[in-house]
Amino acid sequence: MTRADVFAGLLLAAGFSAGLWEACSFQYGTEFAPGPGFAPVWLSAIGIVLSLLIALNAFKATRRAEHSTDEGSDAPDKAGLLRVAATLAGLVAMLAIAPWLGLVPSILVFLLFLTLYVQRLSVLTGIGASAATVFFVYVVFVRLLDVPIPSGPLGF
Amino acid sequence: MDLDNLLLGFSIALSPTNLLFAFLGVFLGTIIGALPGIGPSAGVAVLLPVTFGMSPVTAIIMLAGIYYGAMYGGTITSVLINTPGESSSVMTTLDGFQMALKGRAGAALGMAAIGSFIAGTASVVLLMVAAPPLADLAVTFGPPEYFALMVLGLTTLASLTGGSMLKGMLMAVVGLMLGTIGIDLMIGAPRFTFENVNLLDGLDFLPVAVGLFAIGELLFNIYRPIRMEPIKAKLSGLLPTRQDWRDSYGAIARGTCIGFFVGILPGAGATIASFLAYATEKRVSKRPEMFGTGIIEGVAAPESANNAASTGALVPLMALGIPGSGTTAVMLGALTMYGMQPGPLMLSTHPEVFWGLVASMYIGNVMLLILNLPLAPLFASVLRVPYSILIPIITGIALFGVYSVENSLFNVGVAIVFGGVGFAMRLYGYPPAPLVLALVLGPMLEKALRQSLQMSLGSPEIFVTRPMSALILVFAVLAVVYPLISGMRSRRRSRALADVR
Repeated sequence: MTRADVFAGLLLAAGFSAGLWEACSFQYGTEFAPGPGFAPVWLSAIGIVLSLLIALNAFKATRRAEHSTDEGSDAPDKAGLLRVAATLAGLVAMLAIAPWLGLVPSILVFLLFLTLYVQRLSVLTGIGASAATVFFVYVVFVRLLDVPIPSGPLGF
Repeated sequence: MDLDNLLLGFSIALSPTNLLFAFLGVFLGTIIGALPGIGPSAGVAVLLPVTFGMSPVTAIIMLAGIYYGAMYGGTITSVLINTPGESSSVMTTLDGFQMALKGRAGAALGMAAIGSFIAGTASVVLLMVAAPPLADLAVTFGPPEYFALMVLGLTTLASLTGGSMLKGMLMAVVGLMLGTIGIDLMIGAPRFTFENVNLLDGLDFLPVAVGLFAIGELLFNIYRPIRMEPIKAKLSGLLPTRQDWRDSYGAIARGTCIGFFVGILPGAGATIASFLAYATEKRVSKRPEMFGTGIIEGVAAPESANNAASTGALVPLMALGIPGSGTTAVMLGALTMYGMQPGPLMLSTHPEVFWGLVASMYIGNVMLLILNLPLAPLFASVLRVPYSILIPIITGIALFGVYSVENSLFNVGVAIVFGGVGFAMRLYGYPPAPLVLALVLGPMLEKALRQSLQMSLGSPEIFVTRPMSALILVFAVLAVVYPLISGMRSRRRSRALADVR
């Protein structure tokens, strides 16, 4: 249990509380059986309790760790987090441009960004891996499985 | 055992198409198992869309091939780079890598392949014997028994996923909560849809599974790149010597029994089976002090157990329609997408699916033995491909695959969101398998609960007054309470030891 678990526990407790708030607007029971609100209400309540228990346990553990010598060992690697954030941003951008540019070119652009910018592969390797992947998925899904995809100005 | 049905199964499994896809499944499974960072759950989830257009039986033959093929493949990485390809090969690293350092990598891989073949084949026989009677028994089950069984599956998985049980439980509740999204099937009222039409049918399990298992794992590998440096081992001497046989046959037999029965238990799975088999072998061995130094029974026992467990896990899936692990949850989702409902009735209404699968597993295990003995060096060479090149390939297939399920960019968005969530979960030790299992089981669980309470006019006593449901619920409670008590005991013991020091 780390300091991140305190935040995760509190965040999830807040999420479950919002779920409980929303679930209270559903019909709890019908004449003979539980209604659509029954499960969400109980699950939200259990979720709140479990989340708070995690936050509490993690809080106690971090307090104990403050008195010991091995603190800081679970601190996340900032460069690694930046790479992950860049990848996620790239994925979101890919999703945003796909309806206009087409799915295949959008995935190609994303993979080029991933290999060349995030992973820092050599230009040849990055372009080769991205192009080969897109060609493979295009052949399998579009040509063989006839999956209709959003196409862009390039026609695919 | 029904010989006619088995013959029907072989007539299906031996068709050229099914043979081809069984081969493709076990081949891809071996590669997936060999690659650290992508386990069978991710492999099955990513490749599931590729099976669209196939008949349900061909699809399940291929997906099951990936599942048990991954158990074979995991050994290669454990032995050659001291890193398990997937969690069920963790125990193999202990003696497998030591054997490789002593120049016996070939013997370790050879015995693992042979042990896996024996365990895999024996457990298919057990699957064939165990599933039909269990299905016959399950026909008598009503909603309360099904509710209890699903609760047992979730509690066992949540408490046995390793790490914090509280986190496992919480993830199961998150999964159940996500399962309530969409139109309520009994009343028709929308829940948590926020007027978004994409949510009316609920969250599709595949984008969530691909996000958590595959994209989350890939993001983690971008965060902390995997360095694969296989030791330069000569893979000769793959066939075991007479002494190797003498040392291993007991381990294989015990590993098979432990693996199969642990695999049947909902939630336990191949990882726990390999741990138990290794621990048992150490306990019964005449030379327990040698474990961890590179002895062959230390490889044979966990490898036999994880293969037997992967087959055992198909018993509750096929006979009861209840998956016990992340991978079998994805397989249940796959069968549902093909319009099949695994469970007691499937064995009588669609015998070709169950018996075709059983027959294909006999054939698949032979294929794996052939692939893993002479071709072990070829699979070992997969480890020389830099993992950084595999990341874009797997990402591209995952994104396209998720899109193709319903031709929906919304699903791609869901996969991306859950990819981010999966990364955070991996970083902070929150297990994804209970979440996916709960998402798949959630609607069924809620339906069984509501039907049960409808039967009893709202009284929860129905779950304890029916003997079978009460018995299963007792096991579910034990699954939660036992690890808690043993955890408290070990904490007290370590505190006492610290006081003594």
